[in-house]
Amino acid sequence: MFTALHPPARPDPYLDLDAYDPAADLMVLNLGPQHPSTHGVFRVKLVLDGEVIVKAVSYPGFLHRGVEKLCEKLTYANVTPIFDKNDYIAPMLNEQAVNMAFEKLLGLEVPRRARWLRTLLAEMQRIASHLIAVGTFALDVGGAIGGGASVFMYAFRDRDRVLDLFEELTGCRFHYNTHQVGGNRHDVPPGWDRRVLAEMDAIESALPDYVTLTAANAIFRDRTVGVGVLGRDLALELGLGGPIGRASGVDLDLRRDAPYHCYDEVEVRVPTFTEGDCYARFMVRYHELVESIRLVRQLVQGIPEGPIAALKPTKGPTHVKIKEGQAYVGIESPRGELGTYLIAGGNKGMSPYRLKIRPPSLHALATIPYLLPGNTLSDAIAILGSLDPVMGEVDR
Amino acid sequence: MGMDFVMNHVWLRPLFMSVLVVTAVMTTCAWSIWFERKLSARMQNRLGPTIVGPAGLLQPLADALKMLRKEILIPRDADPWLFRLAPPLVLFCTVAALAVVPWSETIYIADLDVGILWVLALAGLMLLPIWIAGWASNNKYALFGGMRAVAQGISYEIPLLLSAMVPVILAGSLNLKDIVRFQHDHGWFVLWPPGIGLVAFVVFFVTSLAEANRIPFDVPEAESELIAGISVEYTAMNLGLFPMAEYVHTLISSAVAATLFLGGWDGPFFDATWYDGVVWMVLKTGVLFVFIYVLRWSLVRFRSDQLMYACWVWLLPLALGLVGAAAVWVKLTQGQG
Amino acid sequence: MGYLLDAFKASLVTLRQTRRATVTVEFPQVVRPRTERYRASFALVHEAAGPEGSPATEGGQGEEACIACKLCQQICPSDIITVTPGEKRVSPTTGKNRGYLADFTLDANACIYCELCVQVCPVDAIVMVAAAEVPSYAREDLVLTMDKLYANETQRRLSWANATKLWDMQDPTRTPPAPVATEAVVSVVPAVGNATESVAQARPVAPAPVENSEAP
Repeated sequence: MFTALHPPARPDPYLDLDAYDPAADLMVLNLGPQHPSTHGVFRVKLVLDGEVIVKAVSYPGFLHRGVEKLCEKLTYANVTPIFDKNDYIAPMLNEQAVNMAFEKLLGLEVPRRARWLRTLLAEMQRIASHLIAVGTFALDVGGAIGGGASVFMYAFRDRDRVLDLFEELTGCRFHYNTHQVGGNRHDVPPGWDRRVLAEMDAIESALPDYVTLTAANAIFRDRTVGVGVLGRDLALELGLGGPIGRASGVDLDLRRDAPYHCYDEVEVRVPTFTEGDCYARFMVRYHELVESIRLVRQLVQGIPEGPIAALKPTKGPTHVKIKEGQAYVGIESPRGELGTYLIAGGNKGMSPYRLKIRPPSLHALATIPYLLPGNTLSDAIAILGSLDPVMGEVDR
Repeated sequence: MGMDFVMNHVWLRPLFMSVLVVTAVMTTCAWSIWFERKLSARMQNRLGPTIVGPAGLLQPLADALKMLRKEILIPRDADPWLFRLAPPLVLFCTVAALAVVPWSETIYIADLDVGILWVLALAGLMLLPIWIAGWASNNKYALFGGMRAVAQGISYEIPLLLSAMVPVILAGSLNLKDIVRFQHDHGWFVLWPPGIGLVAFVVFFVTSLAEANRIPFDVPEAESELIAGISVEYTAMNLGLFPMAEYVHTLISSAVAATLFLGGWDGPFFDATWYDGVVWMVLKTGVLFVFIYVLRWSLVRFRSDQLMYACWVWLLPLALGLVGAAAVWVKLTQGQG
Repeated sequence: MGYLLDAFKASLVTLRQTRRATVTVEFPQVVRPRTERYRASFALVHEAAGPEGSPATEGGQGEEACIACKLCQQICPSDIITVTPGEKRVSPTTGKNRGYLADFTLDANACIYCELCVQVCPVDAIVMVAAAEVPSYAREDLVLTMDKLYANETQRRLSWANATKLWDMQDPTRTPPAPVATEAVVSVVPAVGNATESVAQARPVAPAPVENSEAP
């Protein structure tokens, strides 16, 4: 019924406002840092012509904690729990990314059971993370006092099922610290696999509700279809992979294209859309959710036997020493390619000399100057929600 | 002396009825907040209020107490008088519409011959204090909220008015009581004329949702975009008056829709004298009222330009057509009355 | 019109949810069941009781397990553990010379609950407790002194993990994996306060059926 507004094909992020229509009475609106829909503390300066955005400038950095610098002082065993705090929606993936970089430099062969467990945990974390993405996107589109809140509550209800399982395995609901250099710290408790299967059934049974309330709803489609279209070229230019890239036709998924863990032993189907709008981004996440449930079912039924760690258990701060070398490891986090670039050799081999994180959310936020101009304020919220950024890893 | 004297007195009767109806409606609204919170909680697998009183029943009182005890803050650059004026005005505009809503043959405040006009005029007038609130706050989000509210209100007033004209044309009266009596004799307007009445009811219901700024048309407050729109700078009871006005407005919208299309207090089974015949009216209003809240917790909202589009491109022509169809129907069946 | 139909469908979905059980847990009154590995706060433990009649078995416990080796202080990523070693002296139970604590402070304000102090402890002296009642009204309450830590040992349910169990679990030579849990999952943990109500409405974490987790 409705047509979306048609923003310019490639808005100029460096638009000179003096060159803009002098008759237009432009208004500057600060979206954030304290705004409920910026998914954390994030400020976007919007220049508005009426309600239509002319220029958008993003100002991240309100959540900067200096994690990368901190890692230059911490020993390798200490880095993992700190990294939980980066992408706080999907901490499991952070732990894996950083530990895989250490293992790569050490040349460690992680036991198959640990790798399998990591695959399983990554997929479960992906479910939890995408549930948040689905829920908060509905919240952004639908309002905190409204239908969006219902979807949000359902999503959190189902995410809690996954967190309950994590709690049973690791003792924590997030910030698990369940990985270490060379393997995992916690093994599967008895009966856990059965409960995983049961909870997956419960989550899957709730999925039709999400669709009815969001994707199948005409109002939701009006709000999202054709809004915030991100072209394939621009997505590649900005280094976007993950759900955002796949919604724009960048058929790239490290789980399938550069398998790590045990992803080469399972079949990973990658949902890809070409529209590049908010709806496509939402649907990619939804389909990945379904896909992850399938993978979890498959993985949890085939956990191999064996040890879960390649090294002896951590018995002191100097457990692991890496004298020199450089390594980059990228894994597929729920937001895209989460990379860890490690230069070893700091602090007499006890700490990284430099640890650089490549956060997918930062690259997602790079689209803001391109996506927002030409859309209204309401669309800006929808677009921000569809990017699903996590400020913890943007600002680190 | 006694009840008969009061009920027949030219001044005492409206006074008594005002006190009765306004008290009843305000109390209902206060506890409908509790009900909505419980209902929405159950819809979301939550518990809702449980602490204050049994099953949280005293929650509205606790809320009011909290609101009253808070400090009233007025932003330095706000217009202090307009800022203070807006919330009571909003409440006044909504409550005043109660004057003409007939709850039964005997329970009403004023039997105004232009009853429906009074309701619609006050709905239009309500935009003024909302705009005052948005402007006086001196806040960009509030300004956006006020601007959106006015644009939306002015646009949706037209299809609202036109769809309300359908019962008026059919019944030949602007008096809400006459319209109900006419439906009592000829059948509810939601059922006849075939099609026209039902569509007019739907149009009226949808546009009154938009008038009351309810989801999916709640762009003026839009928590996730404008945080709270016009009420973003308000504190304490000033802040509390806005949602209170909104609840009253929603209740009156439901009551008017029930009066115009669902036959008001008319209905089978209950004698018109049993509890003064108020049962059916309360039931119908209640069903519409609850349905609005069910919708609220199920739908996402439109964008403001989509809202305008829907109004001017779809609802307005539809409402115009309905008025024409009703007029033609009346002309064709004039002989039968 | 599709919009009306979709609105009705959405309303049906949300209305249908009203029939489901709620998932809210009214926390201070009701404590959701904690899994046995749940880790929330800390405790310092005593050794198991020595032989009957030996001097250190008063109260049914052995002597303090901590030997003040400072490993936990060194590994803590947040630098919140302060170990003050006391004088070394001969243990009355074993007759060997060992270290003793003079003071031990764990500032839980900055704790990230990473379990690394538990992981490295050579004598299983520091463990975590499964009580969730960490929040308090004053920052000072979150500074766990030695007294509080020893009180936690008896007053709260201890978490599953200690260093020996973790090391066993992570043993790289382990094939096939040993059964990881020895006791059944405790389903309901009474809160420290007056929490006696059952967790009727909370979705219970099912107690572990005693069987091996390795599905074929």
